[in-house]
Amino acid sequence: MSAKVVICCGSGGVGKTTISAAIALKWALEGANVAVLTIDPAKRLADSLSIGELTNQPRRVPIEQIQPQATGKLDALMLDARATFDDLIKRLAPSEDVTQRILSNRYYQFASGRLGGAHEFMAMEKLLEMWQNGPYDIIVLDTPPTRHALDFLRAPGRMSRLMDKGVLRWLVMPAKKGGWRALELGSEMVSRVLKKLLGEITVTEIAEFFDAFRDIWDGFHLRAQRVTELLADPNTKFMLVTTPAPSARREALFFLDVLQSQQMPFGGFIINRHISPPRHELSRASLPTDGPLPEERWEALCQSIVNATHMRSNKAIMHAKAVDTLRAAGPTGAPFWLVPEQELDLHDLNALASLQAALPGAEI
Amino acid sequence: MSILDKRIIVVTGKGGVGKSTVCAALGLFLAQQGRRTIIAETAGCTAIPPIFGGKARGYKPIPMRPRLHTMSITPEAAIEDYVVQQLHIQALYKLVFRNRVMGPFIEAVPGLHDAIQLGKVFDLERQKDDAKHTWDTIIVDAPATGHGLTMLDAPRAMMELTRAGPVYEGVKMVHNVLDDPDTTAVVLVTLPEVMPLQETIEFYERLGQGRDKVALCILNQVLPDPIFNQDEWDISKSALENHDHPGIAEGVQLVETWLHKVTQQMEAATTISEQLPVPCVQLTHQAHNSEDKPPIDTLANELGAALANGVAP
Repeated sequence: MSAKVVICCGSGGVGKTTISAAIALKWALEGANVAVLTIDPAKRLADSLSIGELTNQPRRVPIEQIQPQATGKLDALMLDARATFDDLIKRLAPSEDVTQRILSNRYYQFASGRLGGAHEFMAMEKLLEMWQNGPYDIIVLDTPPTRHALDFLRAPGRMSRLMDKGVLRWLVMPAKKGGWRALELGSEMVSRVLKKLLGEITVTEIAEFFDAFRDIWDGFHLRAQRVTELLADPNTKFMLVTTPAPSARREALFFLDVLQSQQMPFGGFIINRHISPPRHELSRASLPTDGPLPEERWEALCQSIVNATHMRSNKAIMHAKAVDTLRAAGPTGAPFWLVPEQELDLHDLNALASLQAALPGAEI
Repeated sequence: MSILDKRIIVVTGKGGVGKSTVCAALGLFLAQQGRRTIIAETAGCTAIPPIFGGKARGYKPIPMRPRLHTMSITPEAAIEDYVVQQLHIQALYKLVFRNRVMGPFIEAVPGLHDAIQLGKVFDLERQKDDAKHTWDTIIVDAPATGHGLTMLDAPRAMMELTRAGPVYEGVKMVHNVLDDPDTTAVVLVTLPEVMPLQETIEFYERLGQGRDKVALCILNQVLPDPIFNQDEWDISKSALENHDHPGIAEGVQLVETWLHKVTQQMEAATTISEQLPVPCVQLTHQAHNSEDKPPIDTLANELGAALANGVAP
């Protein structure tokens, strides 16, 4: 059976990377063979997973440290877009010559790490590679912040359009006769304007890259199609991670719109850093009249406690409203998970595992 | 030269640290000082208008308060703006850039989106009304640190890619203005917590030569110190815990967390003073009932007072 794919999306600073790692850890502790792929080069994630360094290749997380009899496994990886792109080209190229022509192209070298959408597309490529070849039951993907994650949903289609042979005609052989007569006049103008704006050498280098790429285009296109299918597979779930903050919520809803318009399977909302109301109301009368401090100091101290409780109540009320707003805006019956705000930093495996109860089970 | 005299102030920080609120507070303060100020959001974000209770948003500057405007830059609008300026013919823009082939191609030129948005910032800096600058200060609400760095580096990257031609000349001008510490300042916003702080320090280190533009670090959402000291708390705690009320345990726990966070804050301030050789201003955490509308006037006053006190260079 093929692996389930769980993709965590959300705006920056909502704790997406931590939530992705905690979900993956939970499922591994429950016995599944899990991989977590992160895009965010956060050194601390490696620390909290008790591995020295995250790389483009799987690193085994020592979950037996917290559960000696664990039967599941957890691998963690961090995307290296350039290495993934190089690997893909080496795999798809029909000959060593084509590989070298692409890898040594100046535009490729310049762009493969930072090409618009390349990072996002390579995340998908890596995911597909792990999905096809990895021994995993579940793959959890941590994505870049929302607006970038959008690129990432569009990446396969965008790459396809870009690699479309039409572009080659326009750039490499704009004047060549073909089935494009009606457009030729325009294409020459496009080519001229581009050269005028970007410079002749640059346009030539870009054209040479696309020309070399033509040889692996079919293989590339097929991969892009597979990714699109994988993203839309009912066995794939997109989890929207947010905090109760309005800006994070807006981003989550924005993303939900995109998911729905692209018919990508939505798995539910994970609301991180949620504060629940204090179980008891506290007023000055609830506290001792006198204490071990001089009267004035004691009053001030008691007032601080009462204020702290009130502040928490107010926050909890705002958070409850935030959850209601999201429930009303989201699809009817959408699953919700509330992850309580952590007072301390999640700095090791035990701390990550402490979130388990609040997170979705592997059956989602 | 004070940060208050810079023409361009680029504000960045990890996601969720309150960059937009800081931009709004800084913009409001500068406008109150008499400077015509515009807050330019990037990548189509529109977080500023709601802070001032406004609804309208878009690429055209919208007034928020006296002398304070805001606008939202999108790569698409900035590209159109640029190309029309360059080619002088709107119809040609449509022919060349709005067809199914060019769209993906434009998307594929690395750094173009970011460079073109900074190009708009450069335009704002140059813009004049009656021989006077339209804007005294342009505050750029930049993307979060990782992408923020890519964006700041984009004009240089474009220069490296093109090496000649009008785009090269254009991005070179943009680069020169943004790279000049007399014109441009970078403000880093962070929180007194381990992760955002670490990311801020990493960002500063990765800036390399660009570090000379970092003029200020803002430690946001700092909790006020408790009015009692640790010793007083220690002797009071057991007296409280012996008192019979069901809510006390939770109340005590809240104070303990607060004390813990205050300690963490002090450590954060020390870390900043040791590892970030730039002035640092603290903004107090504001309890408020509407998260969409932080008490922006209070924050502007606090920030202004700190800056006027000579905290900034």
